[in-house]
Amino acid sequence: MKRRSFLTAVLFAALGWSSSGLSAQPGAQEILAASDAIRNPAHPFGVTMTLTEYRDGKQTDVSTLAVYSKANKDNGQFRSLIRFVAPARDANKLMLKSGNDLWFYDPANKASIRISPQQRLLGQAANGDVVTFNLAKDYQATLAGEEDVLDGDRQKHRCHRLQLKAVTPDVTYDHIELWLDASNNRPVKARFYSESDRLLKTAYYRLYQQQLGAERPTETVIIDGLDPRWVTVLRFTTWVERDVPEVWLQRDYLPRFKPE
Amino acid sequence: MRVPIVLTLALLAGAAWADDPDAAALSLPGSEPQSAESAKAWQLFAEGAVGRSVVRTASLAEEARATEQLSIDLQIDAAPVAGLRAVLADRLDINWLHRFRQRSEVNTLKEAYLSWQPRDDAIVDLGRINEYSGVAIGYNPTDFFRHGALRSPVSVDPTVIKKNRQGSVMVRGQKLWEGASLTALYSPRLSRAPSSSAFDLDWGATNHHDRGLVIFSKRLSEDLNPQWLIYKDQGESPQFGMNLTRLITEAAVAYLEWSGGRSPSLSNEGLGPQSGRAFHQRLATGLTYTMSNKLSLTLEYEYNGAGLRAMEWAQLPRASLPAYLRLREAAKVAQEMPTRRAWLLHATWRDLLIPRLNLSAMVRRNIEDHSHLSWLELRYHASREELALQWQRNAGEWFTDYGGLPLRSAWQFSYRHYF
Repeated sequence: MKRRSFLTAVLFAALGWSSSGLSAQPGAQEILAASDAIRNPAHPFGVTMTLTEYRDGKQTDVSTLAVYSKANKDNGQFRSLIRFVAPARDANKLMLKSGNDLWFYDPANKASIRISPQQRLLGQAANGDVVTFNLAKDYQATLAGEEDVLDGDRQKHRCHRLQLKAVTPDVTYDHIELWLDASNNRPVKARFYSESDRLLKTAYYRLYQQQLGAERPTETVIIDGLDPRWVTVLRFTTWVERDVPEVWLQRDYLPRFKPE
Repeated sequence: MRVPIVLTLALLAGAAWADDPDAAALSLPGSEPQSAESAKAWQLFAEGAVGRSVVRTASLAEEARATEQLSIDLQIDAAPVAGLRAVLADRLDINWLHRFRQRSEVNTLKEAYLSWQPRDDAIVDLGRINEYSGVAIGYNPTDFFRHGALRSPVSVDPTVIKKNRQGSVMVRGQKLWEGASLTALYSPRLSRAPSSSAFDLDWGATNHHDRGLVIFSKRLSEDLNPQWLIYKDQGESPQFGMNLTRLITEAAVAYLEWSGGRSPSLSNEGLGPQSGRAFHQRLATGLTYTMSNKLSLTLEYEYNGAGLRAMEWAQLPRASLPAYLRLREAAKVAQEMPTRRAWLLHATWRDLLIPRLNLSAMVRRNIEDHSHLSWLELRYHASREELALQWQRNAGEWFTDYGGLPLRSAWQFSYRHYF
């Protein structure tokens, strides 16, 4: 473990030096942290997420989730309580996510079921992952250059291209390609890969609006890696800065959760 | 003329997706901004079902029967004033036999309680509460309040059984800390005997003894959050329990559910008090593995130390048929295994062939007598509707766990609408 930490530190130092050595621009890890701060408010918050699912260009499903999120004071990673609001059959079901500790709660049978990250990936809620997580905490970034890419509005956009490699074990995505606006570090596009280099999903961040003190993307288009005809559009509304008490973020509170 | 045009347009659209799927995805209309939907305080659905079953009659002949069912299920979870929560859950099942010729109905008041939460970390509840514990799928040794809870068995699916049962009247308090929780409850005796009357609140089924339960859980690490339980039934020895889950890989979760304590052997129910009391352990342990094609498989081993061994179980009906029948009835009411050991294989496959079509399947095998239960369900869900096709079969020799059940096989087609 020590050896791994040492190697990571050496790698971090070397990459930080090399990226800052090439230009006066900030290092890749700093750029990544800056883009994290654009996606995620610095304080606990609540947001409503509407997921519209398309297959072959036709809308097939709409669901609404209420997300309550808070950074873990130990590792900086987000912990979230997700409430299913619609459709009616899923109303008030809950999901608790704290790293890889994932629980699903159904109020009809009072059962809290522990699920694996793979099981969660199959559900729509997993798409929230591409929005509320701190990449700089779990990934080592390298700057792979600047290039013009098509952004979420199908316009050419000058971007930094970052290559991210997981440095903490048990993360959902092994490596990520991330394109950030070269002028302001806004996330534009990301590709998420498995350990076997399989493309899991592509995300486009768009519709930037002033929310909770910063210009943040309020719409994300997610294209499934295996089946590109399966597209999910996430829309974020009603952002609120709010207290998310520690006691909420544990299995034994799930039956107790009652939205205001 | 229209068909070729539609086909051509479809092919062109397909070609566009193939050429540049990203551009095609980004040209989709996107989602309209939704107003923050407040959680609805109620959920109501009605379900109609028709089916056909083969049943072994009292004369030991097999008879095919047409069955029809109508169910109405209501859940209310309201907060009339800040800090107070009112919960009501009720289900009415109306069953017909022989093409609507015979009718019976059962109403189950699943829950009716008030919950007072003066602070985030302290809650007190009073009323009829479905107190459920356990991490296993098919057999839950720490689910101490399952005895007498099943009033209207509408499915063999363990998930549905847990939903459609009646709670016990109790007063319950819970205190939470960061990463820890302590729950204590007391459930008093209210009535002596259960009632099969259709609209009876059936206190006698769930509150026939004074009972108490304490549950403590503590997060030891991000991956380890065990739960410990102590349960006491009036006139019985305390029972201890534990629930534990562990993430084995990115795709696999293992679980262990255990309870133990001095208790009468289940054969007491059939053979009388001469069987004596001893320390019995009950256990369910298993692993759920999820594949990237959306198939989840669970294999579970189930052990009831108070159940009968293969030889005792095989000899019981020969020694005393009434004792055998009493034991079966006692096991059914207690939702307990009559014998020692069983296996369960449970599978769910989401979006099978087409989106929203889910397959669920289960095989339960009694290791002592080799009888087994097979169950299969195809369920398609739209936003407010669900269509389901179910099949069930009980197989085994006469007087075995599943072979001894009157129901031999059944088909059912159901339609559910959420209001």
